Amino acid sequence: MEAFIGNLELGFTTALSLQNIALCFAGCLIGTLVGILPGVGPIATIAILLPLTFQVDPTGALIMLAGIYYGAQYGGSTTAILVNIPGEATSVVTTLDGHQMARQGRAGVALGVAALGSFFAGTVATLVIAALGVPLTKLALIFGPAEYFSLMIMGLAFAVVLARGSILKAGAVIFVGLLLSTVGTDLQTGDERLTLGLVDMMDGIDFAVLAMGLFGFAEILRNLDNPETRDVVQAKIGRLLPSKQDVKDCIMPVLRGTFLGGALGILPGNGAVLGPFASYTLEKKIAKDPRRFGKGAIEGVAGPESANNAGAQTAFIPLLTLGIPPNAVMALMVGAMTIHGIIPGPQVMTKTPELFWGMIASMWVGNLMLLIINLPLIGIWVKLLKVPYRLMFPAILLFCCIGIYSVNNNSSDVLMTAFFGFAGYAFYKFGFEPAPLLLGFVLGKLMEEKLRQALILSRGDFATFVTSPVSAGLLIVAVLVVVVAIIPTVRKGREEAFQE
Amino acid sequence: MKRTFAAIAVAAAALTAAGAQAQNYPTRAITMIVPFAAGGPTDVIARIVGENMSKTLGQQIIIENVAGAGGTTGITRGAQAQADGYTIMMGHMGTHAAAPALYPKLRYDPAKDFSPIGMAAGTAILIAARKDYPAKDLKEFIARLKTEQDKANEAHAGVGSVSFTTCTMFNVMIGIKPTRVPYTGTGPVVNDMIGGKVDYVCDQIVNLVTQIQGGNIRAYAIATPERSSALPDVPTTKEAGLPDYQVSAWNAVFAPKSTPPAIVAKLNDALVKALDDPATKKRLLDLGAVLPQGNERTSAWLGDYVVQEVARWTPILKAGGVVAPE
Amino acid sequence: MIRIRAPQETAAGLFLIVLAVLVFWQTDDLAVGTLRALGPGMMPRLLASLCAICGIALVVYSLVKDGAQLERWSIRGPLFILGAAIVFGLAIRPLGLFVAGPAAVILGSMATRDSRFVESVVFGIGMTTFCWLLFKVLLSLPIPVAPWLLGY
Repeated sequence: MEAFIGNLELGFTTALSLQNIALCFAGCLIGTLVGILPGVGPIATIAILLPLTFQVDPTGALIMLAGIYYGAQYGGSTTAILVNIPGEATSVVTTLDGHQMARQGRAGVALGVAALGSFFAGTVATLVIAALGVPLTKLALIFGPAEYFSLMIMGLAFAVVLARGSILKAGAVIFVGLLLSTVGTDLQTGDERLTLGLVDMMDGIDFAVLAMGLFGFAEILRNLDNPETRDVVQAKIGRLLPSKQDVKDCIMPVLRGTFLGGALGILPGNGAVLGPFASYTLEKKIAKDPRRFGKGAIEGVAGPESANNAGAQTAFIPLLTLGIPPNAVMALMVGAMTIHGIIPGPQVMTKTPELFWGMIASMWVGNLMLLIINLPLIGIWVKLLKVPYRLMFPAILLFCCIGIYSVNNNSSDVLMTAFFGFAGYAFYKFGFEPAPLLLGFVLGKLMEEKLRQALILSRGDFATFVTSPVSAGLLIVAVLVVVVAIIPTVRKGREEAFQE
Repeated sequence: MKRTFAAIAVAAAALTAAGAQAQNYPTRAITMIVPFAAGGPTDVIARIVGENMSKTLGQQIIIENVAGAGGTTGITRGAQAQADGYTIMMGHMGTHAAAPALYPKLRYDPAKDFSPIGMAAGTAILIAARKDYPAKDLKEFIARLKTEQDKANEAHAGVGSVSFTTCTMFNVMIGIKPTRVPYTGTGPVVNDMIGGKVDYVCDQIVNLVTQIQGGNIRAYAIATPERSSALPDVPTTKEAGLPDYQVSAWNAVFAPKSTPPAIVAKLNDALVKALDDPATKKRLLDLGAVLPQGNERTSAWLGDYVVQEVARWTPILKAGGVVAPE
Repeated sequence: MIRIRAPQETAAGLFLIVLAVLVFWQTDDLAVGTLRALGPGMMPRLLASLCAICGIALVVYSLVKDGAQLERWSIRGPLFILGAAIVFGLAIRPLGLFVAGPAAVILGSMATRDSRFVESVVFGIGMTTFCWLLFKVLLSLPIPVAPWLLGY
């Protein structure tokens, strides 16, 4: 305990130096900005700002870069709520109820709840990292290919619950999402799969391309088809901040979301992606009236947003304690650390304690700053919704185009997004929902990779998925989730049959 | 006739302009294509070297990450860029030595379609295994692999990655066909190696060094002529009994074919100055990088080296049973 | 007499079946592999089969249960919005942001009858300038601005 307090003290002394506060603020501000811009992610920004940090000491540099990362998480929620575009896999869920709230004139409340929930989750996660980061690492190592595969299966089971309409259709779009994830060069043999002979498809479909197409472009097309619904957003501007009742409704979802997101974020195989989905599934399942979900339920914003931010923070654990980056942004942080002469790994904590603890303390400082930056901004964002749609949509179009181009500096990505925009429009006409599709897509790549690794390692023996207790447990949860989701529909179907 | 004349006139004007351009070069920012995602070893080297080259050249070098298809997407774009010195690229062992064997549809020739500028830095390759692998040195390790081929699991970071190509060479050299487990990237490989799920890997020192220092992974040998200062206890392959295993994941700067010699010379000069700059040099050495010495720094040497490397890697990768993308 | 009772479901089901057929056709040269080493063709075909099963089920349901109509597809929106994105994609590298930006905004604006031409021209130039300041000056992303004029 004494060591713990001493460590935190060292951390806060480092993080609260004038230079580091300034760097943290700069990082959070830039992060919020790029998070809000659709398509432009933290990856491009961190890469560009890397050389600028050469002049600063490594701790300061990493504090700033980490600020960009979690700043972008905050900013991404804003875009998801206001214009229904998820900038990252983790904000897909926020579009479901967050954007519906905006349509009902509760954009300010949604944004406020997202910011407050994120701040709370960030605080808890920071404490968890500080207190338990090291022992938790050992837990993460239990996860091998078989366990990850079962985890992904559980994630797909969540996707079924995510859907508003028919289970059959939800299942179908998840399969389409999984199918899209198989596009590209085969991991093991190097064969081209479903690339239609296009060089640009060899590395598969980029998440940003798919998300901007299915959500960004298709959303514009949908709105143009229904002039009456798009004006709703402008007609009503409700209160800017959550009421007491709103906050009360959110306390439990925030707590549960923080726990789920934080726990999944520790896994080095990008478990953080699952956090928001798991939280949404849980909230929808335990809600008294699950039908409110997808129509602007505040728990559907508060829980996933907390899970998202908690996961974003705890994702630093595998990086800082093992040196293993769980996602692309963390891989870039590895690069940033190596440029500064620090090679991430188990020694960072003992060799450079001021860096390790300084960064952890700065996360909390950064979360506080983000709250201070974001709450006043809500007023501005809500006013932005008053811009007439005939000007709003070309602006969104332009931002999306530039954003997609900047992901890989590749113009064919923009063309591919246009294609997926059309596909998204078609899906809407067919009554398919895009959110489960995106989840299937995100989980698909990892799922196939882990399935194949597990089977190679077990020499083709499927028992490997049940002999490991962790893997078996996850599979049981997956089956339960699906059964619980299907029972009401089956019962309903039978009742209807009897009535006839 | 008229048209031919016009074409000649335009070409002549362009040449004169190019000549004049070469003298004042550079007058604006230079783009350096890095054919891998930001944050990887090649990207880090490009950013460190590029920052110092910018100072010498008096113009910013902007890094543009164009990742894809084992780096060949970015290099293809670079090869097709204007040869005016404003688009250069950081080539790599994968894109300029292994690619012809791995990608039959490759749209450039590493030896013919570029004006080599100079070698930037290489990173040493390690042969490493999980910490409880029952072999105390490289000789025992190889002997065990040979007798337990069907049990051994080698992990690599994907077809075409450095760990894939360098371990293909290792396997071919000692004559084994182990089970090869594909991953996407080095991070998950290291994770499963620490967790004891896979047996061995060949990879760049920078990806493994702290795990080896921390005792989570055991290194058997380093494929360089001399030991690394970061891992002084790890013997070289020569000392450990596999002297022919000499590989380095090298990174070198290239410009598109027929870039004016004056511009090539200016860029080479800036690169060499960067490698001599104490701060830059220290940053690179901290990464475990091996820097070119003496005549290895000339453009001509790099041109010859690419030819040698392609000739060396092609038969190995073909023998390693790579299923190449058609 | 078979009657389509839920046209939206029929269309959705047929779409899934067509998708599955396309996948089977595109992967016919890929090995399915064995359990020990799943081949590259295994996952795509397995998933395509599942899509096809869902598709068939949807078509069957649509014949026995009443459901939603298939909404009218508009042409103007997709044509101009996606056209604008395609023009942007084709123009950004050779011509740069100063051409691709206004072009995308002006063309995109035509997707709705509410827009006014002069307004969208002014707005397009304004937005492009704003984006130039934001992306190029502030964030310094490597986006071509006007290669024909400035060389980058």
